[in-house]
Amino acid sequence: METIKDALDFRDFSKAERIGLILFTIFLLAFPWIGTGSFVKAVMIQFLLFSLFGMGWNTIGGYGGQVELGKAQYVGIGAYTVSLMMVWWKIPFWVSMPIGVLIAIGYSFIIGYPLFRLKGHYFAIATICTSLVLQDIFINWKLVGAAKGIELPIHEHPDFLYMQFKSDTYYYYFIMVFFYVALFYMNRFRKSKLGYQLRMIKDDEEAAESLGIDARWCKIKAYTIASAFVAVGGGFMAVYNLYIDPYSVMDLDLSIKIALMAMLGGAASLWGPIIGAAFLVPLDRFLGSWLGGYKGLIGVDFMIYAMLIMAVSAYQPRGIWGIIEQFRRKGK
Amino acid sequence: MIKDRGFFLSFLIMLLSLFIISTSLYAEEKEIKIGVLYPLSGAAATIGRDLQRAAELTAEIINNKTPGVDIPMAQWGGIPNLGGAKIKLIFVDHRGEPDRGADLAKRLILDDKVVGLMGAYHSSVTKTVSAVAERYGIPMINDSSTSPELTKRGLKWFWRTTPHDDYFNKDLFELLKGLTEGKVKGVKAVPKSQIKNLAYACENTEWGSNVAKSLEAYAKEYGFNIVKGILYTANSPDLTSEAKTLTTAKPDAMLFASYLSDSLLMIRTLKSMKASPRFFWGQDAGFEMADFTKTLGTDTNGVLTRTVFIAKIANVKKVAGQVNALYKKKYGDDLTGATARSIVGVQAWAYVLNKAGSIDRKAIQKACNEINIPANELVMPWAGVKFDATGQNILGRGLIGQYQKTKEGKIDLEIIYPFDLATANMIYPFPGWK
Repeated sequence: METIKDALDFRDFSKAERIGLILFTIFLLAFPWIGTGSFVKAVMIQFLLFSLFGMGWNTIGGYGGQVELGKAQYVGIGAYTVSLMMVWWKIPFWVSMPIGVLIAIGYSFIIGYPLFRLKGHYFAIATICTSLVLQDIFINWKLVGAAKGIELPIHEHPDFLYMQFKSDTYYYYFIMVFFYVALFYMNRFRKSKLGYQLRMIKDDEEAAESLGIDARWCKIKAYTIASAFVAVGGGFMAVYNLYIDPYSVMDLDLSIKIALMAMLGGAASLWGPIIGAAFLVPLDRFLGSWLGGYKGLIGVDFMIYAMLIMAVSAYQPRGIWGIIEQFRRKGK
Repeated sequence: MIKDRGFFLSFLIMLLSLFIISTSLYAEEKEIKIGVLYPLSGAAATIGRDLQRAAELTAEIINNKTPGVDIPMAQWGGIPNLGGAKIKLIFVDHRGEPDRGADLAKRLILDDKVVGLMGAYHSSVTKTVSAVAERYGIPMINDSSTSPELTKRGLKWFWRTTPHDDYFNKDLFELLKGLTEGKVKGVKAVPKSQIKNLAYACENTEWGSNVAKSLEAYAKEYGFNIVKGILYTANSPDLTSEAKTLTTAKPDAMLFASYLSDSLLMIRTLKSMKASPRFFWGQDAGFEMADFTKTLGTDTNGVLTRTVFIAKIANVKKVAGQVNALYKKKYGDDLTGATARSIVGVQAWAYVLNKAGSIDRKAIQKACNEINIPANELVMPWAGVKFDATGQNILGRGLIGQYQKTKEGKIDLEIIYPFDLATANMIYPFPGWK
């Protein structure tokens, strides 16, 4: 009970932020009824999904300060567990998704234990490597569809057990629920003992250890939490797209995107990953869709995308949230 | 007076609404939107844009009366059974990403209100796009994805005009068998022991790994021996170890399923290793693109590629030459297997719409199931377009071409298989790189 209270407690935020959160929630709830097109809705689903990924990454990458570039492997674990269980044994999403999360937690433990002997660049490279190795295994593993991937059987609509709907509105609300669960969890996390320990480790690991904090164990715990978040998103991706292959759910591109969005938005802040996703997902999807159809403008969206990222990171390394805070301080 | 005014007013409103309804109906009939998903940026951008051009050209041929093309649709000037309505293609760029393809398909169906879909080149993207089409009950004609499994999923709204990889791989083994039987133009029967050992290198996505599987199966069926088979990553910057593995196996024939950049890299690496197989075959994609010969030049002499269209087909098929001439005049390149398939895709859409005589999706579904486009109206050397219960065109067939150096030092693609369409003597054994 205390935990839930703590998760819903946003009192330490400024009034502007709290009002912003309420307005944002109202906007999200009303969004499917505003009458925007279905493409905009699909982009919103991607935004919520990547916010979820970003919030997960933020535990270890943001609060923990570890450059983690291998999150796609856990997206893959979540997606593959849901898909394989559905194809092999017809197990519903609501059973297979938690199992996927458990497997991701177990796997992240096995990987995390040796990985956190490494620090800095070596750790970042190692996370990329483990993700690539897992992707390569899945590309060649015939039992799980190898490079061909897995197609999920199409069910009669709507099917709540298997999460198959004709209209994207259902998917939208489901991912929104996941999004808010994650947001409340993160709100508690940042105030928890582990949250403070991680920030201490980020600032000065040796000082933290001298105070009796087991740095490695803290990092492993944060890494595991991050993996669980990401695996939920992976499971959702599988039922949403009805097809997965190692390239779409385990690619290095995906890992980088997850980290990039959180970093650009502002790592180690509650709103950072959400702002990052709100900025980059529409940019990527809309620009690509608008410019992609016109000859002569193909590829321009990549340039704009890259330039904006460079501009933000050059101006304020703490990301967009850093810029906002900078202005607020000036205002005061 | 007041009564009169009321009557007059209601009459006016009625007239106005009739006008609005009729114009909207008219506008609806005048333009039929088809959503086309191609990879217009990213790794496959070059081919995506070629496909887009070919599709646009075909829409122009259908929409405007085009003299000099002996296909009935070139004289239509719009879809006849729909009051001369024009086909409007809406292109979107999926970058080869399945999830992006699915989102864009939703945009096309729900926001742009397209009548049907076409695309998406990558088999993996076609999978997600066709799943969306199935979910919304919107017809999709696939012109260019060759993974055999696409039509084995029991979909009710999916049809494919191109033959799939199983057809093409069978063609390869028919050619190998033909070599041993002396059926190939310009080559005496080759003892089987000279050509028995095969090695393949296929890129490791859905397409390449399917080709590999199919090659293994056919090799067994036709009594050939696979001495080495590898799957590799298409976008890897170096293929030295893969090439080394192939050459050390000393195969009689080397077989590939590669995209453009990796096919170029593979051939350059094999050249530097002085690899000397007797038979060198590529499964379409990279091997049949215009840039393949532009980049490698005479190094491609003797290389075989499976395809569905070769410009030389004009010698035996008039309409192919006519459409190819139009394309070449406009864009400077000959049609390739990929671009010609895009032409047939749009053509199939036009014929289906004309047969349905309506944009009602049930009518279109029925028309797709019943359509029969005769061979002489296609640019392809196929027996026609007719879909079976799974949605696969059963009248398609593949070609195997060989790049041959002309006297002027240029490279031409000649037809080697089917034997009855052969346009030149086959160069055998593969001359290698000296």
